[in-house]
Amino acid sequence: MNGLLGVIALLVLLTLGVPIGISMGVVGMVGLMFLLGPEPAIIKSGVVLFETITRYELGVLPLFLLMAHLCFAAGASRDFFEAAARMVGHRRGGLAIASVAGCAGFGAISGSSLATAATIGLIGLPEMRKRGYSDALATGSIAAGGTLGSIIPPSGALIVFGILAEQSIGKLFTAAIIPGLSQALFYVITIALLCRWRPSIGPATARAPWPERRAALLRILDLGVLILIVLGGIAFGWFTPTEAASVGATGALLLCAWRRRLNRDSLRDALAQTLRTTGMIYVVIIGALIFAVFMSYTGLAEQVADFMESLPGGTLTAIVIMTLLLLLLGSVLDGLALMLLTTPILLPIVTDLGLSPIWFGIYLVRTMEIGFVHPPIGINLYVIQGIAKDVPLIRIFKGVVPFLAADLLHLSLLIALPAMALALPGWLHQ
Amino acid sequence: MAESIERDNSGQTRGPLFYIGAGGLLLAMAVEALAVLGRHAGIPLLGALEIIQACILLMASTAMLSATLNKGHATVTLLTARVGTRARSYLHAFANLLSALFFVGLAVGALWLAAESWNDFEQSELLHIPFRPLRIVSLVAAVAIALVFLRDTWRSLRGSP
Repeated sequence: MNGLLGVIALLVLLTLGVPIGISMGVVGMVGLMFLLGPEPAIIKSGVVLFETITRYELGVLPLFLLMAHLCFAAGASRDFFEAAARMVGHRRGGLAIASVAGCAGFGAISGSSLATAATIGLIGLPEMRKRGYSDALATGSIAAGGTLGSIIPPSGALIVFGILAEQSIGKLFTAAIIPGLSQALFYVITIALLCRWRPSIGPATARAPWPERRAALLRILDLGVLILIVLGGIAFGWFTPTEAASVGATGALLLCAWRRRLNRDSLRDALAQTLRTTGMIYVVIIGALIFAVFMSYTGLAEQVADFMESLPGGTLTAIVIMTLLLLLLGSVLDGLALMLLTTPILLPIVTDLGLSPIWFGIYLVRTMEIGFVHPPIGINLYVIQGIAKDVPLIRIFKGVVPFLAADLLHLSLLIALPAMALALPGWLHQ
Repeated sequence: MAESIERDNSGQTRGPLFYIGAGGLLLAMAVEALAVLGRHAGIPLLGALEIIQACILLMASTAMLSATLNKGHATVTLLTARVGTRARSYLHAFANLLSALFFVGLAVGALWLAAESWNDFEQSELLHIPFRPLRIVSLVAAVAIALVFLRDTWRSLRGSP
């Protein structure tokens, strides 16, 4: 009962516009005061504050953010899009495919869905509209492609999940590689099918000559090497995720200097952006950890787990119910709030059902991503509308519907075949 | 994630807060990169982890304060985006007041722990970095954030941005 009241109070505070981390922290702190008394609640909160801001593993987050901002300053997003556009832009729907590829490439640096949609949108959208692409396809492909930023490692969402669920961030990153790449493939297939059905929505354009293609590919060579070192280093166990992040940030700094894009302003801007986002995420994590302590005392997770286990159909029914719940909550809650609210409740259930927490992390981020593009929240759609102000929101919604169908199919596959996430860490003996 | 991804320059890029946070971040990056390099070259950098922890504390404390000063906290705007100006001001004032109280709670917790461990002279294992200053930094950050939220409560009630 206490747990349920806590969840209701949290939803009320979130709706009233109280910041996500603070809503969770207040509910957690007040809940602990009721359950344990004021003194233990306050002391526990103080412990969470100090332990969180001195936590070595959390250093991964600002360092990856810094790497992303420095790569952005070095022109990575434009280079990724242009390389993909030169290679496939001449095909029907090729620029939309290039946008998805650009999102996947930039997602391997940025770790954020919004940042990916916004940066690739700024480059890809005008290009597609200039070449006569339909607004629906152009906006839909970038809104959907942007969600790749949340799953393709290094992913901010997976880092937060790893900290909350006390799971290996390196293993989560490795587990996300196949789902991330297959998701991008699903989008490419969706674009190909749409353009086959209605060729006018993504007309073919002139083929870029090979020297141009080679030059575009050479321009992303340094970025590709940096990404390979960072992700390969984590996957093969050369570095811990925090070490990989520092190597990545140092590499990005050198890359920026190599490309003659490093100056006082670009460095200052990258550092300021990193600090702002980091500060926001630290508050969220502190609040979420206090909330998780409260939840563990309420026993809500155990009660829900007992209920799930009593249902006919076993694990599959439980997953279907969880998916429906997450999609429903995802339509009214922001992705981060959804993850932070549900992890302390659903993770023990998942463990009780004998499912892997690593698989659950990937599944949760995947479900969260769908919330980025489905109404009424669909924050990526608003980001895209901010770039293409003359395209009505309803047309962007329509454009994203085929990608939403691909998302649901991909999510079903991830549920049916957990090996999609678990095989790679297993092969690499992580 | 509900990140603030705007690429404007409204974030503080000058002043001591920025320099402390940025310095902590760059130092953590450099020390960790050197530690990796040293490990692979057979010259391990002892105590790197302890330096990084101290840097992260400095960076996280200033980053949280910077996010608060720049109103950069992730918020669900489902209701606040749909109500009138007056109601929005009251909702903001409520959110700011609750946020201030939360950080007051954290500050009291941090003070409690600092007071309890004051005479223990806690320090890190290898480099003997004292914990007292680190605990003071976390306490000062929590108090400063609470004060900023209190100021914002007052401003929300007066209707200023």
